[in-house]
Amino acid sequence: MTDQEIQAAPKQELSTEAGEFTHEGTYFSPAVDIFDTERELVLLADMPGVSAGHVEIDLRDNVLSIIGKMAHEGEKGDFLLREYRTGNYFRTFRITEVVDQSKITAAMSDGVLKLILPKVEKAVPRKIPIATE
Amino acid sequence: MFRLRTGRDPLWGELDRLQRGMDQLFGALSGSRRPFQEPFWREAQLFPLINVKESDASYTVTAEIPGMKTDDLEIKVEGDLLTLKGERKPHEMGAGASHHRRERATGTFQRSLTLPTRVNPENVTATYKDGVLTVTLKKEPAAVPKPIKIVSE
Repeated sequence: MTDQEIQAAPKQELSTEAGEFTHEGTYFSPAVDIFDTERELVLLADMPGVSAGHVEIDLRDNVLSIIGKMAHEGEKGDFLLREYRTGNYFRTFRITEVVDQSKITAAMSDGVLKLILPKVEKAVPRKIPIATE
Repeated sequence: MFRLRTGRDPLWGELDRLQRGMDQLFGALSGSRRPFQEPFWREAQLFPLINVKESDASYTVTAEIPGMKTDDLEIKVEGDLLTLKGERKPHEMGAGASHHRRERATGTFQRSLTLPTRVNPENVTATYKDGVLTVTLKKEPAAVPKPIKIVSE
């Protein structure tokens, strides 16, 4: 349905009552798409304003965390219109044993982080041939 | 029978487009549009969200539109109207992929902004980096504030 017009949604800011952030700054939860194919899971996260060098991916205890840091703006000028705020991005995901953690790859371009989480071999559906006697 | 038209209804898009057309027509006739204002009755949020900064010599318009190819993005300046238009295509996944989550919006978008002063299209530059579109519009020399020296007699 590509002739559908997009609606804007304001960015979800993370509540600091979660008590997790010892860092300064505003954190937003990036919008995410998760696709499932036979061989892998693909995760796409929108983190505009974050360059590849400012992305951190942490994987421990079956929890995948993605952190995107915004470079500081510092342009001169006053805002005439401010519909969105900028800040860092943070989101976590629980990874199940379906994923082969040693084979996860990541790429970042144009503000979109793409994570490929290949499935463990035995989780890939396989047809078992039946030998006739 | 009465039917509630919501923001996602295709007819809304048509009425939207019609309203925009009418707006531009009336704006051209009256010449008194308020800068950066959209029709007050519009409830749906417009995509993309935009920030505008002003410095002495220029306006800087920024919008967060990650994952776009510059071919799918169009920027126009006509008089004092800046238009951003484009299409955000969904990620190609091939047959047999299902989705667990779908939060990233895709589709077409078009947004126009009235600038407070006229801008020369020759003096407009745009860059797209890390998913952020930045359009810098230099003000017409007449619009740049110039200090006036006060001579005491």
